Amino acid sequence: MPETILQVKGLCYAYEAGRQALQDISFDIRQGERIAVLGTNGAGKSTFFLCLNGVLEPQEGQILLHGKPDGRSRNGLREHVGIVFQNADDQMIASTVLAEISFGPMNLRLPLPEVERRVDMAVRAMDLDDYRNRPPHYLSGGEKKRVSIADIIAMEPEVILFDEPAASLDPAGTEMLEQLLDNLSAAGKTLMIATHDMDFAFRWASRVLVFSQGRVIADGQPLTVFQKETIIRQANLRQPAMLTVFQSLCAHGLLPEGLPCPRTPAALDILLGTLPVGR
Amino acid sequence: MMKKKHTHTGAHSIDYFAYASGLNGWNAAFKTVFSMGSLILCITADHIFVSLFFILAMSVLIIIPGKLPVHDYLALLCIPVFFMLMSGITIAFDISLAARGDYCWKIGCFFFSVTHASLWYALSLTLRALGAVSAMYLLTLTTPACEIVSVLRRLHLPKIFIELMYLIYRFIFILLDAHGRMREAAASRLGFRDFRTSCRSFGGIAGNLLICSMRRARVYYDAMLSRCYDGDMRFLEPKKTVRSRHILLAGAVWLAALLIWLAGKGG
Repeated sequence: MPETILQVKGLCYAYEAGRQALQDISFDIRQGERIAVLGTNGAGKSTFFLCLNGVLEPQEGQILLHGKPDGRSRNGLREHVGIVFQNADDQMIASTVLAEISFGPMNLRLPLPEVERRVDMAVRAMDLDDYRNRPPHYLSGGEKKRVSIADIIAMEPEVILFDEPAASLDPAGTEMLEQLLDNLSAAGKTLMIATHDMDFAFRWASRVLVFSQGRVIADGQPLTVFQKETIIRQANLRQPAMLTVFQSLCAHGLLPEGLPCPRTPAALDILLGTLPVGR
Repeated sequence: MMKKKHTHTGAHSIDYFAYASGLNGWNAAFKTVFSMGSLILCITADHIFVSLFFILAMSVLIIIPGKLPVHDYLALLCIPVFFMLMSGITIAFDISLAARGDYCWKIGCFFFSVTHASLWYALSLTLRALGAVSAMYLLTLTTPACEIVSVLRRLHLPKIFIELMYLIYRFIFILLDAHGRMREAAASRLGFRDFRTSCRSFGGIAGNLLICSMRRARVYYDAMLSRCYDGDMRFLEPKKTVRSRHILLAGAVWLAALLIWLAGKGG
C-alpha cells in the first residue's frame, strides 16, 4: 500500500461562530491518489482546500503530514501541498509570467540556480516559453490558467489541489488539462480536484469524496459512490452519462449483468467489440 | 471592437508601450541612470540648445530603437506640453494698468505686455521642462513598471513601499478589468441612457467595485499565503546585461550635450 501523505483527523472550521463550514472531516490521502472532490457550491470544498494547505487554521482537529503534526511551522503544509485557485486572476501577483512563476520557489528560499531550474521546468511543462516576459494582464483566460498551474508545479509539492480547474477553459484547454493531470500522476504526484463535472470525475478519479453541508458523506471508488442513489440525491449531484448509458444497456439486455462499467466511450467501444452482441 | 482599439489611454497605454518597446531589453538600472543623468544635465545646463538637443535625442531614441509609433509619442507628449504652454504663457505675459513692455495689447482696462526678455525666459523654461520630461519618458515608455520598482528596491527603498508598489500595480489592472466588465454589464441594461441614469450607474459601479476589491484582496492574500508568502516579496528577474554599445550611446549623448553647453557658454 502506498505511503500515507496526509491524515485529516476530525477537522472542523467555521468562518464565524454558528456557521460551520466544515464539520468533523477525517480521512487519509495516500501517495499517487487521484481524488475528485464533489459537492454543490458552498458545500465546503474550497474551505477544505485552504485548510489542507494551511492557510486556514482549523478550530478543531488536526492535519498530519507524513504522520507528524505540522505544529509550529505552518509553512510545512504549504510547502508540501499546493493549491491552484479557481480564478487565475486571484492568484497572480507579479508583473511578468517569469516573475509570477518564481514567486513560490523564491518563497521556499531555494538557491537561485534551483529557482531558475524549477521555473524553466514549469514553463516547459505548461508550454509557456513564448510568454516568459509577458505581463499577466495581457494574457487570455486559458493562458492565465496555464500560468497559475505552472506557479504551483514550480514549487514541486507532493500534493496538488485544483479548485475547479476546468471552469474557464475551452474544450482544447480542458483536453490539455487532462493530459497534464495524467503527466503529473505519472510523475507520482498526488492530485485532488474539486469539480462539478461528473463525467470527468468518473473517468479520471481513483477515489471520490462527496461533500455536503460541510461534511464528507461519501468516500470511495467512483463506481461505488455514483451507484448510491441516496448519496447522489443528498449531495445534489448527477450520475455520470457513461454510467447511465451502461445501466440502460444492461437493463435492456444488450450487455450481460455483472460487468464493471467502462469509464470512457472508447472503453465501452472495446467492451462491445469483445461481446457477441446481436439480436 | 473599434472602441477597444482606441482605449490605449492612461495607465494601459504607457504600460503597453513599455512592454512593446524595443528598448525593453536594456538593463533597467542603466536606463534609470541614463535618464536621471540626462534630466539633471538638462536642468543644470539651463541652456536652450541643450534643452532642444535633449528633446531631440530622447525622442529619436524612443521612436527609432524604441519603435514607439510617432503618432502615439506625440499624443503622449501633448499632455505635459499643454501644461507647459499654459505656464509659459503666464510667465511671458504681464498684466498691468499702464502700457509697458516691448509689445503691448489693451484688453478692457488692462494692458497685457510682453518683453523680449520675458519671452525668451518663458521659451527657455518651457523647453527645459520639455527636455526633462523627454528624459523621463525615455525611462517610463521603455521600462515596465515592475523593473523600475526592482531598481528602487536595489536602492534600498523601504520594503513596505516596494510591496505596495508591486501590489498596487497589479491591482490597477485587476480593477480596470473589473470596472470595464461592470460598465459593460450596466450599459447592456441601458444604464447609461441619460444623465440621471448614468449618475446612478456610476455610483453603483463605484460601490460594487469597492466591495469586489475587498473580496479580491482577501482571496489574493490567501493565494499568496498558500504559496508560502511570509512578508517578503521576491521574484526572479530576467537578467538584462548592460552592453558596451549602450554605454557608448549614452556617453555620446551626454558628451554632445556637454559640448553644446560649453559652445553655448563660449559663444
